[in-house]
Amino acid sequence: MSSVPHTTVAAAPPTERRSFTPTWRRLTRQPVAMVSGGILLTIFLVGMFGPHFVGHAQVHLTDEWRNHPPTFSHWNLFGTDAIGENVLVRTIYGLHTSEITALAATAMASIIGVSLGSIAGYRGGWLDVAIMRCTDLLGIFPLILVFMAVYTYFEPVTAWTATFALTIFLWIPVARVVRAEIASIREREFVQAARSLGASDRRIYLRHLLPTAGGTIVIAVTSLLAQVFVLEALLDFFGMGVSPAIQNTIGNLIGAGENGVFTLGEGWWTWGFTAGLLLVILVCTNLVGDGIAEALRPPRQRA
Amino acid sequence: MGAFVLRRLAIGFLAMFVALSGSFFFFSKKFLPLSETPVVHNYWVWLRGIPSGHSLNDGLLGGHLLATVGSAFGRTMLLLALTLVIVVVIAIPLGCLAAATRGSVVDYGVRVGMYMAWAVPVFVVAILLQQGFGRIPGGWGVGWFPSVGWAGQCPNGQGIDPHNFQCPAAGHGLKHAGEVIYHLLLPALALALGFVGLNARYLRNSVIDALDAPFVTVARGKGLPERVVIMHHALRNAFVAFVPAIVSDLGLLFGAALAVDWIFQLGGLGTLLIGQLALNADGNTPVDTYELMLALLFAACVMLAASMFGEVLLAVLDPRTRLD
Repeated sequence: MSSVPHTTVAAAPPTERRSFTPTWRRLTRQPVAMVSGGILLTIFLVGMFGPHFVGHAQVHLTDEWRNHPPTFSHWNLFGTDAIGENVLVRTIYGLHTSEITALAATAMASIIGVSLGSIAGYRGGWLDVAIMRCTDLLGIFPLILVFMAVYTYFEPVTAWTATFALTIFLWIPVARVVRAEIASIREREFVQAARSLGASDRRIYLRHLLPTAGGTIVIAVTSLLAQVFVLEALLDFFGMGVSPAIQNTIGNLIGAGENGVFTLGEGWWTWGFTAGLLLVILVCTNLVGDGIAEALRPPRQRA
Repeated sequence: MGAFVLRRLAIGFLAMFVALSGSFFFFSKKFLPLSETPVVHNYWVWLRGIPSGHSLNDGLLGGHLLATVGSAFGRTMLLLALTLVIVVVIAIPLGCLAAATRGSVVDYGVRVGMYMAWAVPVFVVAILLQQGFGRIPGGWGVGWFPSVGWAGQCPNGQGIDPHNFQCPAAGHGLKHAGEVIYHLLLPALALALGFVGLNARYLRNSVIDALDAPFVTVARGKGLPERVVIMHHALRNAFVAFVPAIVSDLGLLFGAALAVDWIFQLGGLGTLLIGQLALNADGNTPVDTYELMLALLFAACVMLAASMFGEVLLAVLDPRTRLD
């Protein structure tokens, strides 16, 4: 499909020993990826440790502090909601829950998906068939419906059951992508050369297949992270996932919903900032993923 | 080719059967009234009623399912159709523009814009458009469009025009079609934004691939103007990659359409499925499981058709990708 001439493809085998440093150096030369990585890291750190510093969202019982628009004083940067809670504090708590769910689910789904996908792509056999059939099954319904049904099973949903539910389904797309990539690299000349030189399966996998598939894996994992954030937020927004009575999440802060009926807060600031935060996380995740994939690509294939 | 299609179809229908059976087991255990009788018995009764159409048309709680679910399906399809029109109308010129001005500020701007458009979650776009342009009593938006409901419908008392407190009339003939499009425009725009971003980037890359090909050099060498080179030679060949991609993404678009449908309360498949699942998540109120299953069947058919049609189209248009 791409117009890369055949000579370039044949010249691609990474013969030099790969190490972490040149990849890192290539990554630092991409300002967009570095800046978005920095923003993402800051957001994640604030979400991870923020709740230890901000205390609890103080409820202001005076009418003056209900639905108060954002101001630069009194730590009221994000305004207050209908019961006088500080939206900034709630957002930090929501970020904490959403982030732990998304990171844990993505990590577990990626580990399962990359391992099973690699074995299936390299060895084929029954695992290969099983993964393909799982993919077919998962593709029958839109993901949002699948998770809605699964969430009704786990009712009431907490961050942990959400993580579990997301993990048990979302390793499948990762495994499919990794399987296809490994299966195509397996047939390339440099892998056959390594095999004919007597390299063990383990060596071929760790030295040749995994590094060459690195870019694809990184893209699969980062887009999975973004997807998990969106799905989780959407389900919580619709009031089907984690209830705000149990835990704040990004989704249920955008729309405080119950049983599918979502209601936005009265002032735009009660949901606008959280929605914006979600947006920044998604854009940055995608940009970082593209940057790392670009840095991982073997030098001759880089544009 | 035929064998490939048949094999894919067989696997698809098998997967559909397994997924639908699994859903039936789950829902009939979860929701009244079926949860009172043994699961296997329910399944057998449902399965036996499919050939005669009994399970597909006679609701557990009464009513003709094919009529209600069919009309919901029609609404979702209309929403998808309008979205596709918007996507194609916006994405093709943008993609061509970015490819033609490759490396320039315009190209960079379009790419950044499309990147952002694709990253924004569809439900956030939907609520922003609804708040900003929908008629919401007491809202801060401009109120040019109805905020919820289908033409001539005001569900739950929402969507009442704050100026005259009456439901808008559905109208007849052309006026009806106009009303429907008027009600569909905001949801379709919300749905389209992300897919415009995705498809304009696809198209840009495939037009650039085509522009680098030797036949374009020949076309330029003949002295054809650049506009003709792009429109007739590069774009036509870029469609080989673009059309199957947009068809394959229909499944993704369908999933997003369910959420948008629910947000705008259009009464489509999304409203039906999400409403039934969400409102009765506690399992204490009776749910028409047969209706759920019929809606899921429609959904599964759309997903299957999209992925099949995309693969077949790619194999027809680009023989290099054929698997057999």
